Amino acid sequence: MRYGYSGKILRVDLATHKVWTETLSEEFYRLYPGGKALAAAILLQELAPGVDPLGPDNILILANGLLTGAPFSTATRFSAVARSPLTGGFGESEAGGFWGPELKLAGWEAIVMTGRSAEPVYLWIKDDQAEIRDARHLWRDDPEEAQAVIRQETGEKLARVLQIGLGAENLVRYGSLTNELRHFNGRSGMGAVMGSKHVKAVAVRGSGKYLDAAAEAPPLSEMGRRLAKAVKEHPSSWDLQVRGTPGLTAGLDAAGILPTRNFRQGSFEGVDGLRWETYEKELLSGRRSCFACAVRCKREVKVDDRYQVSDSYGGPEYETVAGFGSNCGIDDLQAVAKANELCNRYTMDSISASSAISFAMECFEHGLIGPKETGGLDLRFGNAGAMVACVEMIARREHIGDLLAEGTRRAAEAIGGDAPLFAMHVKGQELAMHDPRGKVGVGLGYAINEAGADHLTAVHDPMLANPDSLSFKGAQPLGITEALPPRELSARKAANYALMENWNSFERAIGLCFFGPTPRSFIPVDDVLTAVTAASGWEISAEDLLRIGERATNLARLFNVREGFTRGDDTLPERLFQPLENGALAGASIPREEFEQAMTALYQLKGWDPLTTVPTRERLAELELEWAADLVGVPRGQ
Amino acid sequence: MTMRVHLGGHLSWYDPGKRAWLEFAEPGPIALLELVRRLGVPPAEIAVATVNRRAVDLETAVAGDEDTVEFFTAVGGG
Repeated sequence: MRYGYSGKILRVDLATHKVWTETLSEEFYRLYPGGKALAAAILLQELAPGVDPLGPDNILILANGLLTGAPFSTATRFSAVARSPLTGGFGESEAGGFWGPELKLAGWEAIVMTGRSAEPVYLWIKDDQAEIRDARHLWRDDPEEAQAVIRQETGEKLARVLQIGLGAENLVRYGSLTNELRHFNGRSGMGAVMGSKHVKAVAVRGSGKYLDAAAEAPPLSEMGRRLAKAVKEHPSSWDLQVRGTPGLTAGLDAAGILPTRNFRQGSFEGVDGLRWETYEKELLSGRRSCFACAVRCKREVKVDDRYQVSDSYGGPEYETVAGFGSNCGIDDLQAVAKANELCNRYTMDSISASSAISFAMECFEHGLIGPKETGGLDLRFGNAGAMVACVEMIARREHIGDLLAEGTRRAAEAIGGDAPLFAMHVKGQELAMHDPRGKVGVGLGYAINEAGADHLTAVHDPMLANPDSLSFKGAQPLGITEALPPRELSARKAANYALMENWNSFERAIGLCFFGPTPRSFIPVDDVLTAVTAASGWEISAEDLLRIGERATNLARLFNVREGFTRGDDTLPERLFQPLENGALAGASIPREEFEQAMTALYQLKGWDPLTTVPTRERLAELELEWAADLVGVPRGQ
Repeated sequence: MTMRVHLGGHLSWYDPGKRAWLEFAEPGPIALLELVRRLGVPPAEIAVATVNRRAVDLETAVAGDEDTVEFFTAVGGG
């Protein structure tokens, strides 16, 4: 391995069971230093347009970033990328945990899987050796069992296992991937793609050391020690360690933007049952971390009360608490924890699964579906038992679960009537549990993101609303100059969004967690620059980092353009243009005209044609993406 | 006569005891800005304030005995 990257890609043809190595050039790697960027470049070049996302011709790419596995907190992430079975567009999802770092220590930057195996298999990687193994005996096994068997068969107790469970095997379109049973590539249906290829798992064990390969190890070692202490010295990272994301629930309710009853309301009368104090009392059994991360934001839970919740699959994050809680009108946190366990056991994205159920609840209350479709479930808002049962139905594709497994967009089209008005998605991907009516920049992100609605495309508006806040000051080195109210929808807001989208996209390319760098958390821009230089030997500026993120986003956009996406796909569910029914922002809506104007400003800032959303040749040339412009056929003189 | 005060999210980091809930024993009406000053919490870190579950303006609101006052940070995603 040379520097923090080896350039080595493992190619896997599942149809023939052949594996081989490809080595990327440094020139390629400097433009696409891993993760989303590297995967988007390969996917755009190699995937034919129009392939069935769940057919053998889709390509699944698992890609580390330059810093994945570096010995400092939050350098843990890897990307899963393919054409999404949920949206038909660019699909991506990041996860932390241990699998990505282990792959890096085995000497690989990425795995590219093509074709489909005739029978279930798993991929076993030990340093530079890779082989495809029979997994027929593991298919239908829960991840906990499968992981134990794989570790026994490989003789490696610390083999890190990335795998799928029942839901992804059954091609639930929001099937996820799990590693170490607790870390998930949740969004975009990447688990369903792996299931469609009959790949149960990718297990890896590596014996390398990141520091041995870094261009300059001492700065990384020093940073690792310093950041481990800094976690407790920064309020945001300290809070993530103490409470994790479940600590967000009460604050969002107070702000009037806690999604409630399928986004009709912004405040939940049962929020006390969901807030952190209840979580700590009724669920919490411990805390865990990802590889070498001192933040330790992961919660462990165990319940033996109204529900029995296993301690093997991790605790619900905020998204899941709100998704199965307030957004389903449910105040029983134990039921939420059970639904979370089932989603994790069956490897299904809990955001999409919970949103599909809240959608079904609204359809049920409007008489669009009934007990005949639900298998007898009284699927009303607030019915915790029905909600948990519905998660099982989705994983097993039984009764209404078979339809909900297709995602809310397809389910709504099948149900008809007013159902599409209740489907809270963008491009087919369900909204995360953040209501843009209280932070409109999140709405710009939901609308424009190539993978559909995603809450992590940029830091949220409230963090850049006060010029004296830690988060605003943290963003200033990136070029943020104006503090703007969370509900201001304007060209100025679009400018802030565009800049922060590039930063978040860079994080996804480099392997850093959203909970590491500023402005969300505790690692300043200077330290990120130091880490990149120490890992690679590259002299690089903050502008260069932002350009890496922008380049990756442009590749994803070109992918969608080629698949036929238009400006009409960059929009929001109709409900968000309607007023919230209750809470601190009762009556607030997203003004449609201002939204469209801000989107136009955003396209112009990005150098994209506002009518077609196609990046201009000029912008693509600035990003050194002429090859992509030629490949997609971007018109000249645009 | 006490006031219950909640320091939500990372605001409790500023309390020397890192408490999320505390009793504020000084009676009488007090401006929320004065309250957070006494608690050592930077107002810039507060995105939402409530008194007895109702959202209020941090700059102008006042709380009294037996009120429950909650302060929350900006939620940046996660």
